[in-house]
Amino acid sequence: MSDILRYHAEQLFAHELEELKKQDQEKRPHNWLLSPQSVVTYLIGGKLKNGFEVTPKYIGSRRLMEISVATLATDRALLLYGLPGTAKSWVSEHLAAGISGDSTMIIQGTAGTSEESIRYGWNYARLLAEGPSKNALVETPVMRAMQDGKLVRIEELTRIGADVQDTLITILSEKTLPIPELNSEIQATKGFNVIATANNRDKGVNELSSALKRRFNTVILPMPDSMEEEIDIVRRRVESFEKIMDLPAEKPALEEIRRIVTIFRELRNGVTLDGKTKLKSPGATLSTAEAISVVNSGLALAAYFGDGTLKAADLAAGIIGAVVKDPVQDKLVWQEYLETVVKTRDEWKDVYRACRDLV
Amino acid sequence: MSVHILGIRHHGPGSARNVKAFLEELQPDIVLVEGPPEADALLQWAGHENLQPPVAILAYQPESPQKACFYPFAAFSPEWQAILYARRQRIHVRFMDLPLAHVFGMEHEATVDENNQQPPENTDSGSAPVFVVRRDPISHLAEAAGYEDGERWWEHMFEYRQQQTQIFEAVNDAMQALREELPRKEDHLEQLREAWMRKCIRLAEKEMFQRIAVICGAWHAPALNNMPKQKEDNDLLKSLPKAKVECTWIPWTYSRLSYESGYGAGIPSPGWYEHIWEHPADDGTRWMALIAKLFREQQKDTSVAHVMEAVRLANALASLRHYSRPGLEELNEATLSVLCNGENILMQLIRDELIVRNRMGTVPIEVPKPPLQTDIEKLQKKLRMPQTADFKDYLLDLRKDTDLERSIFLHRLQLLEIRWGRRQEVSGKGTFKEQWRLQWDPSFSIDVIEKGSWGNTVAEATASFVISSANNTSTLQQVCRMLESAIPAELPAVVEVLIHRINNLAAASGDVLQLMEVIPSLVNISRYGNVRKTDAALVSGIAESMIGRICISLPAACTAVADDAALALLELFYAMNDAINLLQDPALTGEWQATLLIISRAAQSASMIGGYATRLLFDGKIITGDALVKAFSVAMSVANPPAQAAAWLEGFLKGSGTLLLLDEELWNMVHNWVSQLENDFFIQVLPLLRRTFSNFTAPERKKLGDKVKSAGAGNGKKSGSTTVGIDENRASKGIPVVMQILGWGDSKILADGA
Repeated sequence: MSDILRYHAEQLFAHELEELKKQDQEKRPHNWLLSPQSVVTYLIGGKLKNGFEVTPKYIGSRRLMEISVATLATDRALLLYGLPGTAKSWVSEHLAAGISGDSTMIIQGTAGTSEESIRYGWNYARLLAEGPSKNALVETPVMRAMQDGKLVRIEELTRIGADVQDTLITILSEKTLPIPELNSEIQATKGFNVIATANNRDKGVNELSSALKRRFNTVILPMPDSMEEEIDIVRRRVESFEKIMDLPAEKPALEEIRRIVTIFRELRNGVTLDGKTKLKSPGATLSTAEAISVVNSGLALAAYFGDGTLKAADLAAGIIGAVVKDPVQDKLVWQEYLETVVKTRDEWKDVYRACRDLV
Repeated sequence: MSVHILGIRHHGPGSARNVKAFLEELQPDIVLVEGPPEADALLQWAGHENLQPPVAILAYQPESPQKACFYPFAAFSPEWQAILYARRQRIHVRFMDLPLAHVFGMEHEATVDENNQQPPENTDSGSAPVFVVRRDPISHLAEAAGYEDGERWWEHMFEYRQQQTQIFEAVNDAMQALREELPRKEDHLEQLREAWMRKCIRLAEKEMFQRIAVICGAWHAPALNNMPKQKEDNDLLKSLPKAKVECTWIPWTYSRLSYESGYGAGIPSPGWYEHIWEHPADDGTRWMALIAKLFREQQKDTSVAHVMEAVRLANALASLRHYSRPGLEELNEATLSVLCNGENILMQLIRDELIVRNRMGTVPIEVPKPPLQTDIEKLQKKLRMPQTADFKDYLLDLRKDTDLERSIFLHRLQLLEIRWGRRQEVSGKGTFKEQWRLQWDPSFSIDVIEKGSWGNTVAEATASFVISSANNTSTLQQVCRMLESAIPAELPAVVEVLIHRINNLAAASGDVLQLMEVIPSLVNISRYGNVRKTDAALVSGIAESMIGRICISLPAACTAVADDAALALLELFYAMNDAINLLQDPALTGEWQATLLIISRAAQSASMIGGYATRLLFDGKIITGDALVKAFSVAMSVANPPAQAAAWLEGFLKGSGTLLLLDEELWNMVHNWVSQLENDFFIQVLPLLRRTFSNFTAPERKKLGDKVKSAGAGNGKKSGSTTVGIDENRASKGIPVVMQILGWGDSKILADGA
């Protein structure tokens, strides 16, 4: 076991990509690792002709993945849009892995992201010593992706300032990156494209200009449709996390996952699962991703401080941490939920006790 | 001699194209189409320039028109194309389904058998019980082909196809396999239908037609290809029950064709089907251009580049899914992603405007139709109010002749219970304006046929329908309501009958309350009816005689009334008094006041009503001054139980307490009465008093309160005037400004003031 904390998608699923490539009989777009059909299979999972099982990466609508892949195949940029924790970055990572075999070209969008980190920067020591030259350029992931014909990912596009966002327009429409200082340009090779993610919950984001918006196809990733789907997602992710983290704890009990997903769904939708009782919703998003991290931290607690099996007490702190983001408002919401819903469920007595002790 | 069975999907544009191409190549000399043979005579109208699909054949039973059946056709229905082809080539075309006479006959028998326990199966929802395509079996084939949805499989397999060789053989084989594989439900009706179809084919063969083309639902194709012995079919079809059936063409709408409307063989996207029928080779470009146009009309910017990208994405999606061309699904997904930025709301607009499309067909006026229908269409044409699938608003100015005629027409239809128009609130004053919202629904055709039994023109039918319903109702109120609607419908004969009816009912009615309820509306008519050039004299005559009746029996009706009944009666008094004031007829007013006097004086009258009658008399200046004080003090005397006195007070003060504020004597009387009440009694009447006073307006109550406070000390000293509290300090601040405005002030005063 090597020391790396988290592997890239293309490393983690290298054998799957290899197998898919072997079995691939469809036409591959230029510089693509796989054909569009195989990329969809890689994301959604399925059985190959030789019986090889591809694990699902995205659990949800196949159509959304098809639209995403088709978008990239028509060399339009893709904008994955949605609430926090709806697997936007996850999907973009796997799209990059499946299409370019490389998910490392990434720019994290922040309010401080500058034009230099999108286009190119200068190595000033070199610049002073040698004057402007290709060698003095500091390449960005965008520039490298253009040269290599790969996918570049831009995370949280809407957090980047509007003026910096717009530097993407030329790159997306002309597929070139001019370098006026050297009187030259980088022309993108086939296979280059951009996947951006953005979330629509955050306040203080920079709305895309309509010129830029026009260059993206938008795919909105929804919250999981059904309870079962959500449980499936949490279970798979937690199991893979266990593998990575070498946790000694037992496999997470499906029952515990089900309870967490239930709590999250009920609070998120503002109504109990049977649809009978209305609830207040907290300000937190309560996404599937958060459910996953609650289970993970619960597992860690159980492994290192408990007896190795996941118990309600191990989860309680995580749940409260996820739900109560605002110490005043959310706490009331949570207490109300605890007293009116959790308390009345007979088989949830342990959750109730564990949570009440902590509040 | 050859028989060609063309299995199709109802309203499938691809099927329609295939049928057309096949027929043009085959050049048959007779075409048999799945449909009711009763409608054969109607086929001659196909190809008429004014018969524009979507239209439907409406088949109904003349004696019970609500039992009806529709056979809709769109331009892209294969049946329609087959009929058009036959008409163009001047060859025979016939319907060959089981006659509806038998279908209705069997239904009738079934209901009789069940002892009428179950209502006849949905007759008005527009679903045609004999016209349901077996969609389920197809999903088995789709599954075998790896599709999740039978609909999509069929579309990509047969409807979007550009190459048509041997397609009907393929359909036949597929259905044959299905019919063999699937466990057959014993469906008697289906067997009969197929037997009848075979019978029709045999008949055509016997008539020595050389090339027979048969258009039927795909499911039936194998049953028609493999002919069993003639005798078996004949045995099956022996001695079927019969019913009388009539047919006509009626206009239809796309929204009724979609299966959201509950139509059995409905299709999800009529507008889209029309598009691919008209532009079979479209790769999505035209469709996207339509969407872009729609968006621009809705003030949403959409560039040509958007359209291009959307088409590209749709095509990429199609190739990703191994389709030869994008279907509606792919186009919708591309639209959502490129044009709508992922927003679902805009898709709803596209769905309504393009995918379903509210389009309505037309039917030539010469098509034989029930006379009432013809009359309605004539009037619609004359008054320029076409039937539309979308709603349309009309603001009618009744001073104009055309608008008045329109209004009359709409009011008559309203009386006939054909709800084409909805009356809407109109803003502004005046009774000469009317606002209507019109939206035609194909199901009105049934109502029209049903009402056709009442007469051949709108006026005639309305008149006899209303008269008959008036004779069947025994409550005055209902007849009065009819009268109210009959007057704007300008039906003088009806009005006369209704008035007689009212007169008779009023004479027979011992219930004075019922009479009182209708007086206000009658008075309204007689007062305002003139705007519509109606002779209102008739109505006022009847109103007068009814008021007379009321006045006679009202005093008796006011005795021995329970409290809550008295409260209800009070409301009637209120409306009645308004009505009489409105009439401004001294004789009637006198009569009414005399009645009130009797009521107010009679000790047996319910005290609340007695109080109100006294008040009305005071308003009319019949009881004033000493007489009023006398009446008041009698009612308030200590001998009366406090509850009774409180009720009287409530009646007297109904609606307003100003009287108490202004008349010092009355005020003192109430004041004294309240203050001398013993504790127990006070608690008892307090709720009643509260109820009385809480109905007053806020300023009134405030003033009353002030008056109690100020009068509390010196009981009744300040007579005739009300005190106004003045805050000297605050008032002095305003004085300089007033002075300056008046031009009297000097600057010093102003400065002091500031």
